[in-house]
Amino acid sequence: MKNNISAWELKQIEAKPQTLKSKLFDWLVSFMPILMALLVLLQYKLVPNKKVLISFKVYEPTNLYAWFIGVFLAAFAGLFIASLFSKKVFGKWRNAAPLLTAVFLLLLAYDFATLKARLLHATYFPAIDDILNALIAERAQLWINSRHSLILLFTGYFSGVIAGLFCGILSGYIKKVRYWVMPLIKVLGPIPANTWLPIILVLPFISLFQGAVFIIALGVWYPVTMTTMNGVINIPMHNYEAAKTFGVGKLSMIYKVAIPASSPFIFQGLTQGMSIACTVLLIAEMMGVEAGVGWYINWQRGYADFAKVYAAIVILCVTFFAVNTMLNAIKNRVLRWQEDKV
Amino acid sequence: MSVKIESLTKIFAKQIEEGTLTALDNINLEIKDGEFVSLLGASGCGKSTLLRIIAGLEIPTQGAALFNGERIEGTSPKRGLVFQEHTLFAWLTVRQNIEFAAKATKRLNSRTEISNWLEVAGLTEFADNYPHQLSGGMRQRAALVRALAVSPEVLLLDEPLGALDSFTRMHLQDELIRLWKGRGNTMVMVTHDIDEAIYLSQRIVVMSPRPGRIAKILEVRMSYPRNRAVGDFTALRTQILKLMDFAQDVQEEYTI
Ligand SMILES: Nc1ncnc2c1ncn2[C@@H]1O[C@H](COP(=O)(O)OP(=O)(O)OP(=O)(O)O)[C@@H](O)[C@H]1O
Ligand SMILES: [Mg+2]
Repeated sequence: MKNNISAWELKQIEAKPQTLKSKLFDWLVSFMPILMALLVLLQYKLVPNKKVLISFKVYEPTNLYAWFIGVFLAAFAGLFIASLFSKKVFGKWRNAAPLLTAVFLLLLAYDFATLKARLLHATYFPAIDDILNALIAERAQLWINSRHSLILLFTGYFSGVIAGLFCGILSGYIKKVRYWVMPLIKVLGPIPANTWLPIILVLPFISLFQGAVFIIALGVWYPVTMTTMNGVINIPMHNYEAAKTFGVGKLSMIYKVAIPASSPFIFQGLTQGMSIACTVLLIAEMMGVEAGVGWYINWQRGYADFAKVYAAIVILCVTFFAVNTMLNAIKNRVLRWQEDKV
Repeated sequence: MSVKIESLTKIFAKQIEEGTLTALDNINLEIKDGEFVSLLGASGCGKSTLLRIIAGLEIPTQGAALFNGERIEGTSPKRGLVFQEHTLFAWLTVRQNIEFAAKATKRLNSRTEISNWLEVAGLTEFADNYPHQLSGGMRQRAALVRALAVSPEVLLLDEPLGALDSFTRMHLQDELIRLWKGRGNTMVMVTHDIDEAIYLSQRIVVMSPRPGRIAKILEVRMSYPRNRAVGDFTALRTQILKLMDFAQDVQEEYTI
């Protein structure tokens, strides 16, 4: 046997040999998403819709949803064929297939419960086709508002992170600072940041945007300070001592030892802070800030235009998902030195 | 004269109960420039404490520790320390660990110089590994060359070969001698291993526990490289074993 095999080859060699039955099962599972997408498409086109009035009009679905499903169907078929030729593609596709099958099963059920049988209230539960159309019709509004939300989110988040890192590192590192910061943390920490919204948003000398930034930053500041401080306090003494024997001074010790050694804790705070920031952002936008996706949702709810509400929620999901994925990627990159990360 | 310990006593406050513990009691020791000295003794007799005092990490309760005639206050890159537990920085690769030391001491070792150190440690292939991806012996080798890379005047070694198998251990002992001969710096090494002390050092400081005292200082007058099988070697071993027996008598109340 040759010595320089790749990790992929190694996995193949060490994998259990497959029986005919398990192979057949694998292929069946990886075919399921195609079947399910096809069913969704067929139901949508062939089963008659139950007619309802929405906003005093008879609701007529468009072909957009059919195209939408069609694109997925084509992609699935493409991947399925590719997986016939490449074991790597097959591995990934086989892994994703059950989840995709479940998602399309859900779509099938939702279509049935809305368009086809109207088991759910037509106003509050619009058809997916309706939501897709709202996404396209409202793209300009959605774009402007998501941009506003993102700017607010990141301004608040980074202000909070900077303040939190500053407080956390200093109060972890210097006992005297901890003496003064600790009471502040203990008093302010447990109160959800948005509690202060009604007060901050009516303050005369700051804008709504600045007020919201402050509230988000406050929400982020707390977990980042806590985790960073704990991280710095709990760094094993020998790290400092080793650095000391190389003549590292008290100040450079902070960024050469304290920050990297406590980075796993810091990232815990950054992740918690992000989810708090997202929550506070939406609350702020729904309670006072006059722009952003949260505000848009509230506004469209006023007109009972739920397709647009759902469209905005879809945008929120995608955005928050992207932001958190990014944060996770950074975290995994920075913390690759950790034992359990490999 | 390089390191001088003058009637030094170190007392620790006990962490749980009220009370104190005398770790070192009236220690007097002189270590000459370029000498290789071993501290030998049972567990808890204050070997690490003495080393940490010389490194500048602990303050003596009484007496003084001097380095080149000056009282030791705080750490200095001139007195390098390799800890008992390997203390590589977990967030840095092996190469970065060595670079850290080089940069911090403002010895801007070139990349080739650092590669040479990696070569000495036999870690060239693992230069870009993180400490947790190394074996215990590799970590100790890395910690050793990291301390050597900044060329300290005194290298303090706290059981640097403690966790190694006997083959790697013997190999690294020869490596230590080679490095010491090449650089001519002072070496102070803590060890549990009598043979290791005899094989490596010019003088052996035998310590006894509770409180930590110097039981005897022995000179080893054999030329390097030493042969572990010759009569002088085994005679010295027997002598030290006798001394250590005496050291264990004091401990008896703690054994079963
Ligand atoms: N920071 C400390 N606080 C309190 N007691 C300490 C401290 N450091 C060491 N001691 C005590 O001092 C004594 C000597 O410890 P030291 O670590 O120097 O022993 P040692 O000879 O290195 O032992 P070993 O061979 O097991 O490493 C021990 O009884 C230990 O409990
Ligand atoms: Mg020790």
